[in-house]
Amino acid sequence: MNVTLYKQMMKVNMKSFINYAFGSAFYILLMFWLYPSIANNAKAIDELVQSMPEGVSQAFSLNGFGSAEAFISGEYYGLILVLILSIVCVQLSTQLMARLVDHGSMAYLLSTPSTRGKVAFTQASVMATGLFLIMAVTTIAGLAGSAWFLRDHYPFDTTKFIQMNVTALLLFIAVGGISFLVSSLSNDEKKALRVSGLITFAFFSLDLMGKFSDKIVWMRKLSLFSLYQPSEIVNGTADFTLSILLLSVIGVVSFGLAIVLFRKRDLPL
Amino acid sequence: MLTVNQLTKTFSNGKGIFDVSFEVNKGEVFGFLGPNGAGKSTTIRHIMGFMKPDKGYVKVNGLDTWKEQGKVQEYIGYLPGEISFIEGMTGKTFLNFMAAMQGIQDLSKRNRLIDRLQFDVDTPIRKMSKGMKQKVGIVAAFMHDPEVIILDEPTSGLDPLMQKVFIEIVLEEKARGRTFLMSSHSFPEIERTCDRAAIIKDGAIIAIKNIHELQSMQRKLFEVSFEHQTEAQSFLESGLTIESRDGNRVRVSVQGDYNQFVEETAKYKVRNIDIFTQNLEDLFMNYYDRKEKIQ
Repeated sequence: MNVTLYKQMMKVNMKSFINYAFGSAFYILLMFWLYPSIANNAKAIDELVQSMPEGVSQAFSLNGFGSAEAFISGEYYGLILVLILSIVCVQLSTQLMARLVDHGSMAYLLSTPSTRGKVAFTQASVMATGLFLIMAVTTIAGLAGSAWFLRDHYPFDTTKFIQMNVTALLLFIAVGGISFLVSSLSNDEKKALRVSGLITFAFFSLDLMGKFSDKIVWMRKLSLFSLYQPSEIVNGTADFTLSILLLSVIGVVSFGLAIVLFRKRDLPL
Repeated sequence: MLTVNQLTKTFSNGKGIFDVSFEVNKGEVFGFLGPNGAGKSTTIRHIMGFMKPDKGYVKVNGLDTWKEQGKVQEYIGYLPGEISFIEGMTGKTFLNFMAAMQGIQDLSKRNRLIDRLQFDVDTPIRKMSKGMKQKVGIVAAFMHDPEVIILDEPTSGLDPLMQKVFIEIVLEEKARGRTFLMSSHSFPEIERTCDRAAIIKDGAIIAIKNIHELQSMQRKLFEVSFEHQTEAQSFLESGLTIESRDGNRVRVSVQGDYNQFVEETAKYKVRNIDIFTQNLEDLFMNYYDRKEKIQ
C-alpha cells in the first residue's frame, strides 16, 4: 500500500464516488417516501403483479409490496442498483489500471521507489473503498429513510435490509475484482472497457434470462449475479452465508490474481 | 553504473532487440541513437524494469532492474519519451505528488529547476503546451537528485533557448558525477553533452563511438552558387564529391577534408555558399550503408 498514491487517487475519484453515492441515496429515499402511499394500495398492486406471467415478475424482482423491504428490494436492489454499480465497476477498474498504462502515466508511478505490487494493491484498495463508500451511503440513507418515512407505522426488517446491502457490496467486490483483473492485463483502455463491460453485461443478462423461465434456469447458475438474490433474502429463502462466502472468495482471488499478474507482465510504457 | 548485458527480447511479430550490450560509467553521458522503431524505447523499457528480458539483464548500481523493482528506482530519474501525467493536476500538484512518491523532503533543487526552466507551475496540465509538459517532466526526472538519469528525447518540444538551458543543466549534473543515458535526434545536443554514443539499428547495436569519432564522421553539404553556369560546369571536374547540380548551383559533400574544398572553390567567382548539416540518423545510416557495400 502506497499512502501517497492512495490519497491522490481518492482525490481524483472522490467526486464520482460522491455523485454515485448521493444519486443512489436519493433514489432509495424516494422509494421510502413512495412506499406509504403504495402500501395503502398494496392489495390491489399485489393482485396486478400476480396477474402478470410469473417469469416477468420474477425477472424484475417484483416481489410483492407487502413489506417495505420487499418493495425496496424489488424497486431498487433488484435492478437499478445493480446497473449503477456495474457501470461503476467497469469504468473505475479501467481508469485505475488500463488507462494509466495506455496513456503512459503508469511510467511515472513505476519510476518511483514503489513496486508494481504496491501500486496495483493501492489501486485495488481505491476501487474497494469506492464501492464501500457507495454502498455505505446507500445503506445509511435506507436506514434514515425508514426511520423518517415509515416510523412505526409500517414494518421494516433492518437485519434483512443490511444483509441485502452486504451481499450487494460483496457482489460488486467480486464483479469489480474481475473487471480489475481484465484492466490489469490490458494495454489498451478501450479494450479493457469493452472486455470487462462485456463480461459484466453477460453475467447480468444470463441472470435476467434465467429468471424468466424455469427451463433455462441453468443460465443463472453460470452468472455471478445469481449469488445475489435480494428478493430471496427478503423472503428468507436465500442462503446468505454461502453467498457472501463465495462472493468474497471470488473477489479476493480476482484482485489477488490481478496484482500477481500485473507484477509479472511486460508494460509498453 | 549502468550495465546492459546481452539484452534480448523478441516480440511476437519477430521484431525486438537482440543481444544489446553496453556499459555507461559513472559521470558519463551516453547517447543512444537510432531511427524510429530501431529498439531505443524497448531498451529503455528494460532499463526501467517495465519489461522482462528473454535473455540478459540490465543493472543499475549493481541492482537488476527487473528483479529489484522498488529498490533500483531510488537511483534513477526518468523522463519518458511521451509525456502523460495523471489527470486533473496542475504542474505543482503533480510535482508535489511525485516528490511525495520519491520520498524527498528537500525541495530546494526542485524550486531551482523550476526557476531556471521558467514555467508557471500553477497551470493545469491539460492546458499545457508540449514544451511546458516537457519542462515539468524534466523537473520530475531531476528533482530527487538521482545517480542515473534516463532521458528519452529530452529536448523535443523545447524552444532553442530552453534547449540551451537544458544542456547546461545536464553538463552541471555531469560535473557532479551524475550518469546519463540520453536518446536523441539532435546532433548539437549529443555533440555538446555526450562522451560516447551507441547506434542501434533493427534491434542490434551497430557501433559504440566516442564523440570525436562521431564528429569526424559527420558529413557536411555545401551548396555553392557560381557567377556563371560555365564555372559550375568546370567545377564538376574538380574531383570533389558532387551530390547534385542545378544551373549555376552545385552541391558538394565534404567529410573531413575542408582544404581541398576551399582551394577548388576559390578558383571561381562565388556568389553564395550555403551549408547543410546532416542529421544524426542520416549520418549513421549513410555511414553504415556504405560500409556494408564495401564489405
